[in-house]
Amino acid sequence: MYHESVKKNDSWYFHLFLKKKEGENLVIQIFVHIFASKNSNYISTMKTVSKRRITLCLLLSLIVTTGLEAQNRSFVLSDDSTHNIGGSTVVIDQKRMNRGLMTNSLQALTGQAAGLNVQTSGANRMAMLNSVRLRGTTSLTGGNEPLVIIDGVYSNLSALSGIYPADIESFTILKNAAETAPYGSQGASGVIVVTTKKGQGAQFHISYDGNIGFEAAYKQLDMLDANEYVATARQLHKPYVDGGNDTDFQRALRRTGFAQNHHIAFSGGSDKQHYRASLAYMGENTVITNNSYRNFAAKLDVSQQAFDDILTIDLGVVGSSQRNNDIFDEQKLFYSAATQNPTYPNGPNASGGWDCNINATQINNPLALIVEEDKDKVLNFNSHIKLNYRIGKDWNVTAFGSYSFVSSENSQFKPTWIWAHGQADRSETKSEAWLGNIAVNWTHDWGVHHLAAKQMAEYQSHTTTAFNATVRGLSHNTVTNNNLAAGSMRQYGATGSSYMNDALLSFLTQVDYRLMDKYTVTVNARVDGSSMFADDHKWGLFPSLSATWDLRKESFFDDFDWLSQLKLRAGMGISGNLGGITAYNTLALLYPTGLVPWYGTATVTYTPKTNPNPDLHWERRGSYNIGADMGFFRNLVVLTVEYYHSNTRDMLYLYDVPVPPYTFDKMLANLGRMSNKGFEMGIGYSPIHKRDMELNINLNMSYQKNKLISLSGNYNGTYFSAPDMSSIASLNGAGFHGGNNNIVYQIVGQPLGVFYLPHCLGLVTQDDGTTCYEIEDLDGNGRINIEDGGDRYIAGQATPKWTLGSNISFRYYDFDISIQMNGAFGHKIYNGTSLSYMNMRGFPDYNVLTDAPKYNINDQTATDYWLERGDYLNFDYITVGYTFPRKLLSRHISALRLSLSINNPATITGYSGLTPMINSFAVNSTMGIDDKRSYPPYCSYSLGFSIQF
Amino acid sequence: MIVVRPYILILGTAMAGMALTSCLDEYPKGEVEEAEAYTSVAYIERDLVGDLYNYIGGDSPSHGLQGTIRGVYDWNSVTTDEQMMPVRGADWDDGGFWNRLYNHRWTSSDGELSSTWKYLYEVISRCNRSLYFIDRYRYRLVLTNEQYEAFTAEVRGLRAMFYFYTMDMFGNIPLVTDYNTPVSDIRQSPRSEVFRFIFNELQEVAPYLKGERSNELGNYYGRFTRPVAYFLLAKLALNAEVYSDNDWTDGIRPDGKSIYFSVDEKQLNAWETVVYYCQEIYDLGYRLEEYYGTNFAIHNEVSKENIFVIPMDNNLYSNRFNYIFRSLHAAHGGAIGWGTENGTCATVSTMNAYGITEDNPSKRDPGEIDSRYYINFHSDTVLVKGQKVNDGYGNVLVYHPLEVAENLTGSPFERNGGARMAKYETDFTASEDGTLQNNDIVLFRYADVLLMQAEAKVRNGGSGQEEMDFVRSRVHEKIREATLDNLLTERLLELMWEGWRRNDLIRFGKFTELYDHRVNAVVDNTGYTTVFPITGDVLSLNPNMVQNPGY
Repeated sequence: MYHESVKKNDSWYFHLFLKKKEGENLVIQIFVHIFASKNSNYISTMKTVSKRRITLCLLLSLIVTTGLEAQNRSFVLSDDSTHNIGGSTVVIDQKRMNRGLMTNSLQALTGQAAGLNVQTSGANRMAMLNSVRLRGTTSLTGGNEPLVIIDGVYSNLSALSGIYPADIESFTILKNAAETAPYGSQGASGVIVVTTKKGQGAQFHISYDGNIGFEAAYKQLDMLDANEYVATARQLHKPYVDGGNDTDFQRALRRTGFAQNHHIAFSGGSDKQHYRASLAYMGENTVITNNSYRNFAAKLDVSQQAFDDILTIDLGVVGSSQRNNDIFDEQKLFYSAATQNPTYPNGPNASGGWDCNINATQINNPLALIVEEDKDKVLNFNSHIKLNYRIGKDWNVTAFGSYSFVSSENSQFKPTWIWAHGQADRSETKSEAWLGNIAVNWTHDWGVHHLAAKQMAEYQSHTTTAFNATVRGLSHNTVTNNNLAAGSMRQYGATGSSYMNDALLSFLTQVDYRLMDKYTVTVNARVDGSSMFADDHKWGLFPSLSATWDLRKESFFDDFDWLSQLKLRAGMGISGNLGGITAYNTLALLYPTGLVPWYGTATVTYTPKTNPNPDLHWERRGSYNIGADMGFFRNLVVLTVEYYHSNTRDMLYLYDVPVPPYTFDKMLANLGRMSNKGFEMGIGYSPIHKRDMELNINLNMSYQKNKLISLSGNYNGTYFSAPDMSSIASLNGAGFHGGNNNIVYQIVGQPLGVFYLPHCLGLVTQDDGTTCYEIEDLDGNGRINIEDGGDRYIAGQATPKWTLGSNISFRYYDFDISIQMNGAFGHKIYNGTSLSYMNMRGFPDYNVLTDAPKYNINDQTATDYWLERGDYLNFDYITVGYTFPRKLLSRHISALRLSLSINNPATITGYSGLTPMINSFAVNSTMGIDDKRSYPPYCSYSLGFSIQF
Repeated sequence: MIVVRPYILILGTAMAGMALTSCLDEYPKGEVEEAEAYTSVAYIERDLVGDLYNYIGGDSPSHGLQGTIRGVYDWNSVTTDEQMMPVRGADWDDGGFWNRLYNHRWTSSDGELSSTWKYLYEVISRCNRSLYFIDRYRYRLVLTNEQYEAFTAEVRGLRAMFYFYTMDMFGNIPLVTDYNTPVSDIRQSPRSEVFRFIFNELQEVAPYLKGERSNELGNYYGRFTRPVAYFLLAKLALNAEVYSDNDWTDGIRPDGKSIYFSVDEKQLNAWETVVYYCQEIYDLGYRLEEYYGTNFAIHNEVSKENIFVIPMDNNLYSNRFNYIFRSLHAAHGGAIGWGTENGTCATVSTMNAYGITEDNPSKRDPGEIDSRYYINFHSDTVLVKGQKVNDGYGNVLVYHPLEVAENLTGSPFERNGGARMAKYETDFTASEDGTLQNNDIVLFRYADVLLMQAEAKVRNGGSGQEEMDFVRSRVHEKIREATLDNLLTERLLELMWEGWRRNDLIRFGKFTELYDHRVNAVVDNTGYTTVFPITGDVLSLNPNMVQNPGY
């Protein structure tokens, strides 16, 4: 079924998607729509379920109920998972990792920890990779992504996405300065520690788990169909082309998606040695034609004890090969699909070409665009070795070394019949990272005292080399990018290569003192030296301190039987960040600029391209946090609360500098300040905890408030005062080039990413019968001037103030059911899609929404008219599983489980566009704007199977 | 078992770490460090002089004197009665940008104006940097005096040219000549001072510049040679009344007859100075081409009329030419093989000047139409390689030169209203939708020199008839009397699409008039709009900066 609603103001609709079993193999879907409105000024349309769709749903359900499944996880249940909800150190073990159809390890984390935002909208993994945020954005330049550590190896989100979820033992989310301090500057934006499964015990195990599922889009934009299109053009006396067809181009791009995952693991060994090996395959064909993902991964871990158990050696190797067939330009594709003339054929025309309205210069035939290629092939190789050498009772030494190699090859192809007129691109980036550390650990207990100390030295080196080539003027489309010799033109700049290296040297001292098992104090001091700063500024000292007090163990609580746990925590620390910058910024370097005619020859010249800053230094963030963990009635209810506050200083940013005297208008410098504070809460409630029945309800919530305090300061004795206001994101498409189309801004004194817009009083009818947006003269100067500083006001923020994640799981004997929800509240979304598609100015070159002719808006001025509340609650998945009881299994089978999942069954939102799950977290040019690029929302239905021998 | 003392371990760890600190030095491999870059005279000349030619044209908005959009060219052309960018349905609203240009409603918060300022000063700063390094290496690498004079003359000449464009647009601007000037020392100089500085610089460096043609392929192709300097000197002197006026909102202008320059050891007034430098250019061998279109042909490097060009080559240089691309109807471009944007067109008053007073070609008197109409514009029924063009709706594409308005949305002429830019010979081999053409972009040419000479003579009380006759007879047009009004019209006819119109209108005092159909234009009784505002970001980043009057 698909549902569209173009709405305004406060109309809310609830879209409930239920599935009910009737008899053996029949499933019926029920859709409930409720409209509630404070005023009647809303536009909304609803399409009833078409027959075709019902058939499709029924068919899918039949397949689903007769044999397939979902559920990705292995089914080991851990008992204490509810103890860690929402606190600062959140451990997400297998039980808490998301279930349902998983095409990426990151999805396992969605909604699982307060303060962790994993954006999973659309199918674009790279978009998802870029928008994982722990406690929001703390730096303007970058380095906002949390550090990922996989079995001790410093890694990143992209490497994590290559690991099969079932190979992961647990995720540990570290957020506070004192917890991230051991990881130094790279952990400034939080750390996700990933522990993968290793072999255990001496017994041989083999397991298989896998799932197969279908994906189907359930919503699209309600554009004029061919008849309405022609009728409207006639009525408006506009020239149009009637191609005689009735094509729904949004549908034409789609297909039924298919995903399958398979994973097989072996483990075994003796009491001195263990091994575990696994192979995994993940494949997904998304609901958009030609958009697919493949991942093949292999992993091996070996552990050996030697010399009378004094030395322990752990060795691990992980390799993966990913192939991502991405959409080259989502905005152009979906914009074209929505606005293409619906009378054009659903395929090539009689002469083999692609019909397209030549007057609609900003779009192409979507079916021609879908042939564009943007493929990534990513090879990951990761290896590490850890030696643990025990010296006597209190001392041990560990040495750790790792090497990782990532090769990422991108190949693109733009066929001759679209905008690029035949272009092929190939590029390759290779990066190598070495890490070595050696640590001495000492622990000692005497009486009620426990003391642990650690001294570590660590060195990391990171080298990236890249190569790229582009040719234009292809002679043949069939060779795509497989033979660049097919291109006739190689312009200057079309080939290039690069080399970059940086290094980090660190020393860490850590002391951990515990008294009577009640009071704990941890002190960390880490010194980081980075090659990316100039000689005088390379080193930064980042200390932290944290303490906990287990109140429950105090005698005055002895009588409080209902209180099963009470722990107070507090911490403070300073961390450094350089994640957003690259090597060589402090050096005065010359780059090849371009070709000029020089004494009869086209010659490459060398010149600077940035203002170098030899005074560049560490961005620092001071933070403190205070929290408590509580458990009541034998941990029937557990509650974790935490408040944090951080202040980023010497913020690395490309500041505006005066031209003249500077050559370039931007300079990377340390000037500004930003603050983040927030409150996080986790509740776990287990009302039923019996042998045959279990109910767990987990909920985490976080409130976050960000403020850009200052973007000015002294540099080299000169006061720089960067503009208080600059645009982050603006609209694109026909008639939106430049001018006053900026929507999201960074404004000093405001949260990062606020909507700064003219205020629309409503629609007014003009002399020619069309309507336009009436804009309020906010600055009272008697005329409408909507440039910055004119008739504009701050109309809300793009980042949610509140986020919520919740999981409800219920087990009855061997059946279990689990529901995961995610929500975000308190933010707004600019509906640029409706602004564009309700605008009749471009019609019939650009098709419009079915409501557009009625409103006849002949205006595309960006005002707050299309600024909507972005609140939503999304049901991520619902999974039903059955674990076969041991007595039903043969002797060799130790466990067997079947499960059935639906991902994305429903979204509750007041937002009128396709989906409220757009980029609301990452500060970039798409932030907060739904601008013709939303991937069609889709559900997946999957069946999972898991067996262990 | 090996016994290891714990303190040795701690010490060892620390020492191993210390030993690695040298690993924190940076050794870039893909770039060249400044300190190691200028190791030979040839490198100095190439990277400190030659490099500057990367910035005359450009390939990104606001970067480049001509060819790119929203930069110097647009602020000097789309702001005038020569050409405009009507809103065409969904296209070209662009947040009201083009409308603000047409109606002179720009403000100090226009980002495009700020980008233009930054571009101009980026190049000026690069020139200052070049001069600084040439001085630094002068004795280290033992440059001969001749080399030193030649290198610095070329850089100073280029810098003067960029100061000319900056002063012309922004009036009172900071004169920065030292690469290491601190922000606190940067403040504006009065326009007349900047004007005198530019004029003196050009006069000083001219003798050290090569007297070679810059538009011809060869050693000096695209470079700042002596005729280029002479052209600028003539242009500066022609506008001396404007540029010497520091208070341009009081309605009083100095008289060119009493503005004196010392030229060739003589004191010449502004108009005599113009004539002098125009004569110098003639003496260097510049002449009118027999055929007007030769100057804009695909291989216009052979023109004996062009003085300074932006070199264009489909396969070599990255300079773009966006103006035909953004002007032609999409179906028109499609027939050529380009995806064009259907935007800019000539105004109605321009069409009238060319003798087009009837939209229907059959009602026109061919004798009234200036012959340059057929070269400068695509108008009426469009032909590509002799074939008519389908407009995308099944009709023959016909441009209607007189059906132009600020906003054509909803009009039957939404897509085909207005005559489009032709001028440059269509290069069917051009790539990137025609923006990478092989025709060099003409910045300065000799026809302008003749018209400047004519105007200066008239303004000095003499006759410019001879020069004007040359220009008109070349295009087989009837002789017109060389009055100031006729000269202004002649400049429009001859120099259409060449980026001079704002400069001309200001000199003739007509820039603030409600010409063409500018009914919504800003009311400017003082002339403050003849100079653009200093933009807000420039003002806020340097407290010394003062806004131009009226803004």
